Amino acid sequence: MAEATSESSVGQETVPAVEIENLTVSYGPTPALLDITLEVPQGLLVGIIGPNGSGKSTLIKSILGFKKPDVGEVRLFGESFERSRGRVAYVPQHGAVDWEFPITVQDVALMGRYGNVPWWRDLTAKDKQLAADALKMVRMQDFAKRQIGQLSGGQRQRVFMARAMAQGADILLLDEPFSGVDAATERAILDVLQRTKESGRTLLVVHHDLATAAEYFDRLILLKQRLYAYGPAEVVLDQELLGAVYEGQLRVFRHLHADAHLPAELGTGKKPSG
Amino acid sequence: MLDLLWTLFIEPLGQQSFQKALIGGSLVAVVCAVVGCYIILRRMAFLGDALAHAMLAGVTAGYLIMLVFFGVSADAVAMFIGSIIAGLITVLLIGFVSRVSRIKDDTAIGVIYTGIFAVGGLLASYFNDLIHIDLYHFITGMVIGVEDADLWMMATVATIVLCVVILFFRQLQITSFDPVMAASIGVPVLLIDYMLTICTSLVVVSAVRLVGVILVVGLLVTPAATAYLICDRLSRMQIVASVFGVTGVVAGLYVSTWIGDIATGPSIVVAITLQFVVVLFVAPRYGLIADWLRRSRFLPQKVVEDVLRSLLKSHPQPVSFAELSGYAEALPDQLRRSLRSLEAQQLVQLDSGQYALTEEGQIESRRILRAHRLWETYLSHVGTPEEQIHDQAHVLEHLHDEDTVDYLDDKLGHPLVDPHGSEIPEDFVHLVPGTVVKSALLREGRGGVVETVPDEFVGVLPKGTRVVAGPRRNDGRIWTLTLEDGSELALDHDQADEVQVRLDSDRTIE
Repeated sequence: MAEATSESSVGQETVPAVEIENLTVSYGPTPALLDITLEVPQGLLVGIIGPNGSGKSTLIKSILGFKKPDVGEVRLFGESFERSRGRVAYVPQHGAVDWEFPITVQDVALMGRYGNVPWWRDLTAKDKQLAADALKMVRMQDFAKRQIGQLSGGQRQRVFMARAMAQGADILLLDEPFSGVDAATERAILDVLQRTKESGRTLLVVHHDLATAAEYFDRLILLKQRLYAYGPAEVVLDQELLGAVYEGQLRVFRHLHADAHLPAELGTGKKPSG
Repeated sequence: MLDLLWTLFIEPLGQQSFQKALIGGSLVAVVCAVVGCYIILRRMAFLGDALAHAMLAGVTAGYLIMLVFFGVSADAVAMFIGSIIAGLITVLLIGFVSRVSRIKDDTAIGVIYTGIFAVGGLLASYFNDLIHIDLYHFITGMVIGVEDADLWMMATVATIVLCVVILFFRQLQITSFDPVMAASIGVPVLLIDYMLTICTSLVVVSAVRLVGVILVVGLLVTPAATAYLICDRLSRMQIVASVFGVTGVVAGLYVSTWIGDIATGPSIVVAITLQFVVVLFVAPRYGLIADWLRRSRFLPQKVVEDVLRSLLKSHPQPVSFAELSGYAEALPDQLRRSLRSLEAQQLVQLDSGQYALTEEGQIESRRILRAHRLWETYLSHVGTPEEQIHDQAHVLEHLHDEDTVDYLDDKLGHPLVDPHGSEIPEDFVHLVPGTVVKSALLREGRGGVVETVPDEFVGVLPKGTRVVAGPRRNDGRIWTLTLEDGSELALDHDQADEVQVRLDSDRTIE
């Protein structure tokens, strides 16, 4: 076991965090994802965009190993899902959480450790320490005893980021972290994402707002059943590509187009300096 | 007195039927409460109801099978197992129906459990010569008269359920809170769900004996709901719910013994419902009284700001409470609490019955006054009828964050007076001695050294020149700067914005 860990840490510079190869996933007669192949290198903040029902959440489920692919395979750090379980953590959508559940910030962070402890054994002092460290990392240690419903939008997101970090995960999957929050909270959440990225973790974020996509993410995955584009914003937010993906929602697209183009150019301008 | 207490509380304890009811009832109450916490957090209350009703079919089937095949009448174990099986079939059928059809969960529950209950009713009435099930007690419960077999059943259920809850606390917690995360770390979510359902069936079967089919849901969810109003952690909620459950059962039992002719089940459920109602009002955080207190304690910002502004009006003269209540539109109680809160924030100081602003209080109230007058100017600027200006500005002045005020000030061309001719306090937020500001912000007499100059003025106004702001001209639309040699420079708003000045470290005039 120890050998395996050291081996993988040696190769960590080169092994991509997520490798998806010829992935096809279906629920009914039409595939939800068709022949997706892409590689996400470590330490990037990647946005997944596409219209409703384009397979964004299916992609997340496949990376989490919930949905067995019809064809193809998902590898995390070069290993199959079974062997890399625990290296990937899921941060739920705000609306999917029962904020009135009787649970404190500390308890949520501790949950991150549950996967590492067999059911017959208690959590150890080390688990508690790791959870406390994770809370400190997102600057939520002062709220440890609060019930989660008493937090502001940005703080709530941070608690779940802490849980993901307590899991010891290197890959974080976030489902629309910016939905239904105000602009200030959006900034605060982005800041947490960025700092998480700087700590060497890889983040995949389902995002619906084309106008901010270019500014927020290093790379974008444009999805609608198939992989339409993958790469830096200036490549992905191409007028023709977006037109092809968002057809039928063309009105929305036209409205966004002007915005989408602007940050794309900003993105190019920023690249060399950053 | 002692005699009365003895008769009321101790004497019943001597009766064996009461003892059994007490022990059985407490056991059932604890498991109901503990499992009930999961039931309410997972929003499954209706399922408890379904399980209770489905039992009738199971009891009848168990009774019949034992009678027909083994010739044993009213076998408690068979009826018990029959109930559990009927419960599980109900749950599986509900899951099946909502999975394969467009029928939603709640409807599926309604269809399946009434169906199974009806089958039970059909069997029980058709074979009523063979089966001696007391339907009345099945429906209302019969805790006085609990038999040893029932007690053993309740004790077994309690042991199994408590063991499961303690052993799998984490798994039950995480699958109730975040099933997706649970699955992602390898918790067998479906298995845990079924385990909880089986536990619920067990609990329901034992509770039906106590309070009857109709009231089972009450015993299951009410103590848990009561605890939910108080607790912020699941483990604590389960303990508190158990306490409510047991005390409710005990109270219900005593009351029904005292009055004699009332059914125990309803009496227990009335007791736990009363607990809930009381807690709903008095719970420290989520209770109605706490909520009401919070709201009444909340000081409207408007009142606080009125107080500050009234104090500023007479500053530096301190003001008595009586004078103050003449100025500010507030109830005496609100006024008193505002003053206390302002005192605590060190914005106001109380000296021998007289209130005065502290230095910080002056700044704060000038900030509000400035916002108020800027809003008045703005309202008049956008053509609001004069008689509405004051009232509307009074409402709007509470929007006094820095950005808003800066925007108004700039948009209005940094006005000096409001429409009523009162002076608008200067922009002391930005005019900090020693910092660089736009010269447009300078009021007459303010001076500083030029830091940034637009190209057009480089000749006349070299960097490093000391300037003092002169009076504005043309209704305040033209700024004047006096140089050291006495010459004067006239600027419009845009130009005055571009000329930046480092303020003197001490103020030239007050």
